[in-house]
Amino acid sequence: MKHVVVDPITRIEGHLRVEVSVDEASGKVTDAISSGTAWRGLEIIMKDRDPRDAWAYIQRVCGVCTTAHALASVRAVEDALGISIPKNANYVRNIMAATLTVQDHIVHFYHLHALDWVSPVEALAADPVATANLQNTVLATYKLPFRAPETSATEAFEHDYPAATPSYFAEIQAKVKAIVDSGKLGIFSAQWWDHPDFKILPPEVHLMAVAHYLEMLDKQRELVTPHVIFGGKNPHPHYVVGGMPCSVSLTDGNAPVNAARLGVVDRAINMGRSLINNYYLPDLLAIGHLYVKAGKVDGGGLAGTRVLGVGAYPLETYSATSDGGFFKDLLVRCNGVVENFKDGVANAVYSEISAEDLTSSDTLTEGVEHSWYSYPKDGDLHPWDGVTEPKFTGPKEGTGTEWKTLNEQGKYSWLKTPKWKGKVCEVGPLARYIIVYTKAKKGILGDLTWAEDMMVKQVEAVSQVLGVAPEVWLPTMVGRTAARALDGQLAAEINKYYFDKLVANLKSGDTTMANMSKWDPERWPAECKGVGLYEAPRGALQHWICIKNGKTANYQCVVPTTWNACPRDSKAGQGAYELAMMDTKVAVPDKPLEIAKVIRSFDPCMACATHMFNAKGERLGVMTTDPYSGTRMDKE
Amino acid sequence: MKEVKRKEFYVFSPFLRVFHWIMVVSIVVLFCTGVIIATPLQSVNLEPTYSVTYMDLVRDIHFVVAFIFAASFILRVYGFVINKGDRLFPHFWKGYFYRQTIEVALHYMFLKYEHSSFLRNPLARASYAMLYVLVAVEFITGFAMYFLANPDSIWGGISAWIIMVCGGEMMAHLIHHYVAWGIILFAIGHLYMVIRAEFMEGESEVSAMFSGYKFLIHNPKDATDSDLSGEKHLI
Amino acid sequence: MEKRESLWEKCLRKGISRRTFIKGCTGLCALMGVSVDRLAEVVEAAEAKPLPVVIWIHGHECTGCDESFIRSAAPLASDLVLSQIDLEYDHLLSAACGEPFEAHLKATMAANKGNYILAVEGATCTKDNGVYCMSGGHTFSSLLKEAAAGAMAVIAYGTCAAYGGIQAAKPNPTGSSGIGAFCGATPVVNVPGCPPIPEVMTGVVMHVALFGSLPPLDGEGRPKQFYGNRIHDTCYRRPFFDAAMFADSYDDAGAKAGWCLYKLGCRGPETYNSCGNIRWFEGLSYPIQSGAACIGCANANFWDDGVGSFSERLPKYGKLGNADKIGTAVGAAAVVGVAAHAAASVVQKGKREAIEAAESGKKESR
Repeated sequence: MKHVVVDPITRIEGHLRVEVSVDEASGKVTDAISSGTAWRGLEIIMKDRDPRDAWAYIQRVCGVCTTAHALASVRAVEDALGISIPKNANYVRNIMAATLTVQDHIVHFYHLHALDWVSPVEALAADPVATANLQNTVLATYKLPFRAPETSATEAFEHDYPAATPSYFAEIQAKVKAIVDSGKLGIFSAQWWDHPDFKILPPEVHLMAVAHYLEMLDKQRELVTPHVIFGGKNPHPHYVVGGMPCSVSLTDGNAPVNAARLGVVDRAINMGRSLINNYYLPDLLAIGHLYVKAGKVDGGGLAGTRVLGVGAYPLETYSATSDGGFFKDLLVRCNGVVENFKDGVANAVYSEISAEDLTSSDTLTEGVEHSWYSYPKDGDLHPWDGVTEPKFTGPKEGTGTEWKTLNEQGKYSWLKTPKWKGKVCEVGPLARYIIVYTKAKKGILGDLTWAEDMMVKQVEAVSQVLGVAPEVWLPTMVGRTAARALDGQLAAEINKYYFDKLVANLKSGDTTMANMSKWDPERWPAECKGVGLYEAPRGALQHWICIKNGKTANYQCVVPTTWNACPRDSKAGQGAYELAMMDTKVAVPDKPLEIAKVIRSFDPCMACATHMFNAKGERLGVMTTDPYSGTRMDKE
Repeated sequence: MKEVKRKEFYVFSPFLRVFHWIMVVSIVVLFCTGVIIATPLQSVNLEPTYSVTYMDLVRDIHFVVAFIFAASFILRVYGFVINKGDRLFPHFWKGYFYRQTIEVALHYMFLKYEHSSFLRNPLARASYAMLYVLVAVEFITGFAMYFLANPDSIWGGISAWIIMVCGGEMMAHLIHHYVAWGIILFAIGHLYMVIRAEFMEGESEVSAMFSGYKFLIHNPKDATDSDLSGEKHLI
Repeated sequence: MEKRESLWEKCLRKGISRRTFIKGCTGLCALMGVSVDRLAEVVEAAEAKPLPVVIWIHGHECTGCDESFIRSAAPLASDLVLSQIDLEYDHLLSAACGEPFEAHLKATMAANKGNYILAVEGATCTKDNGVYCMSGGHTFSSLLKEAAAGAMAVIAYGTCAAYGGIQAAKPNPTGSSGIGAFCGATPVVNVPGCPPIPEVMTGVVMHVALFGSLPPLDGEGRPKQFYGNRIHDTCYRRPFFDAAMFADSYDDAGAKAGWCLYKLGCRGPETYNSCGNIRWFEGLSYPIQSGAACIGCANANFWDDGVGSFSERLPKYGKLGNADKIGTAVGAAAVVGVAAHAAASVVQKGKREAIEAAESGKKESR
């Protein structure tokens, strides 16, 4: 038995540590822990701030999924204050959200995840001519033809197409060779390049993927220009409670948004579609197909057992979230929990998530059994009643500031354990696809929206390509990564769909972008509560706010990565990261590439996960960490 | 009408008097323009081409008057050097200062019918010293914000530490704004007290700022703070 | 220590022509605001200096600065990372992880002692020995001290590294602070912003890479090239300020017409950054151009800054209102008080004169 620590996990957001016990003979992981190793206390900082500014503070939780927290935050505040945003603002926010999803998924696959699958070293053995041929074969075989119906055609032809010429690949190969030869590998340093997993793919696939890694590094920035037009910058674009700050005028000379600015947005949306259809999805399916063929269908973990979603993309503006208005008119009705998907749709169990589930005190809760926090009494708490009292207990071996191994028996993470009806769940694009597919196949959805229809068709198309049923390939590491690519394609289409709606509405003469009727705190109730929901690129995100006398009295978020990366619980069991690791075979225990790969298939975002818990804003106890006598808590 | 014997005291040099009236005008103009700069009125301009560019005009007035006000301190300093009556500083370090302050305060609280006669009573002296502190804060924060339009200049370099002490330029703006209101509150009190002294106590406070002379019935306790004094019979 | 390659050597190896190389250098001149008559200097610098080794470490942060860095258009992040600097350690982009990655960090620091550039993203946590920010089993604060001691220079990327940022906002539960005080004698370049403008981030590295020296800094350690002016003084909406043409509310007629956002609480007048001139995404926009008031994200204490709300320039004090309302009320109260005092004084004077008259009457009657 070998105990392996991987810390830091890189190519993610924030600070994550995992420890696994591997049986060296079988390669089986017998135990795994996942630990968020930093805590910033933003929930305490939120107290007494102006709720109209909450989006700006909360957005700084994470710069990778920038905009996600801002959007959930303005939704929560608007729910609390009973503000219904204008049509245009709803469309623009959906474009912001879809744009983020497209860009974030592309960056995740190529820049955060690819180097677990693809090696520049292997690419050196590739034949440029064969690679060019491979590129053509991949485009011919793995393109998925799905599009949103009846969208406007604003480009003459697809401008972003992968090069498939031998000289292009030869040049990329020469560049890689130069880097390898110089011995200065830079960002490619110190990876386990000799790991057997890198032999699963032929050299030509490696070369093609490395070329696309570089292409996408240059292109990704252009995908987020809608954020720059509508929000002024990226990362961290601006929002406003009640709508969007980017006023539209087709009659003024200096309007933030006019026809020319919309042209920039449209160009980015077209580009996103092309990049996903011509690069991301074909590459992903080509690689995934080889992995499935090689029998690599592990790493599923919790996905086949229980997944959760909250629903995405409101078609039109709605009354509020806590009154159920949000759920009534969604383009993607993935709100719900699906259990036992691994046994097939027929045996899967579906439970709806509705407005009551958000506010009832025992549906969504958080526990701290293995988290470095303490509750006044045993049991779990609904975020609204939550308490943040840090209780750092140090590692099992080592000192408080120099860890060797963490204590899986005790507390070991700055993440809490969120639960749905006392059970842990996995969230993310994979969850969204499992939920919509199950709901559609069970006939729960009635008439499918075009987006839901597309999701079902995507799943069926990939099943056909891979030659296995959805319940086999979806709840796996490959399936998690593939669902993200499908989600990217869907988001790119949704982007175009809402852009067309925005243009049509502007054409009808409605240029309103913000509802300022309740901007003045004097028009607010003395006390109110709100919920904001958003299916972020990494999964279901929920923000809760309590407003008292015009100030933030309490702010909570339950974040996708918290759902996934949470520590274990004696009743609910282990979280998605830990179970996925335990569902993964490790070929070389010294070089646990598979572990890093399966963790990265979740697209971890630790800053989100660790820092945003419930807070009543109590003062923190003073904690003294003495490397010799351990840690003690002094109450203030 | 009864004849009252009054003594004449030469208190304020012409330099101080001119400075005083420059200060009065400056404070009024600076306050009004300052309020507009902080909370501008909406103009009704339809197109910038036809606009009356009033914000930059208001700002220019604010800056020019600030410089004039600052420059007028030359007069104040000169008067301070040449004339004893321009140096009526509160004697914080003396015990009698506090006794006299209490006495004057009791009078203003109607607990005493009158207070001893002063060229300038200790409470007033303290309040004027306070005013100079407020004005100094306005100068320091104001010029720091002004000069930091070009941080690379010499004055910008000198100003940088002021912003640091304030804790950022936003804080400098706020301090500048609050202290301006402090000066206005002083002005209200000052205006009342001098008029009161003029008409109620016959201390010729207002006229002294024109003529330079005070005419007092009793020999003031701080008579030695003035260079020239003589008796004069007045109706 | 093995010889490190210069930009020119790299170009030679890649078969890039001298002409293309000079063209690249001209572009860099433009990027860094250096006049073209200093081209020779840039060329010489690019020819002679080996590629700078960059180590990028993360403290209490959100990775937004890393994300901003890879949004750079000129130079493109790929060009910078793969051929103009030698980025040996970065949590976002580096392939490796875990033990070999940490070993590589140690080896890189040892091999390039005194020669590498340390880029720091995020604040350092100081409370309770820094246990709230752990990486690789160690506290970030210990890593920072060690890495800064061996660095040629430290670049503090973002408001968090420069000043503490969001986690240092009141009440600062983790005792976070900017990194400057923990870098010993190593010079620190502050590049604030939440995040900084992409081209500002890459521009600072390019300056160091080309000239082998830190860019000229202002009193707060910020490169003068990029933080030399307030946004207000370079804002394209400044003429509307001067003309007093303001948006009074989001999405009103003034907002639609793109007028000045000063009355919506814009922090442009006190924020030093290049938003007004370089702008974001090659001049595409910046918050003010997109209709959103600046929140002053490059300022040291912008999260607190004495103001209750980003949407107001003057803080409100509960139901009392802002300073002007309070000032007016106190002023009015003072006037009323003065009037009352005057009335009371008249009464008192009357009494006094009555007493004096009585006393003098007594004297006369004697």
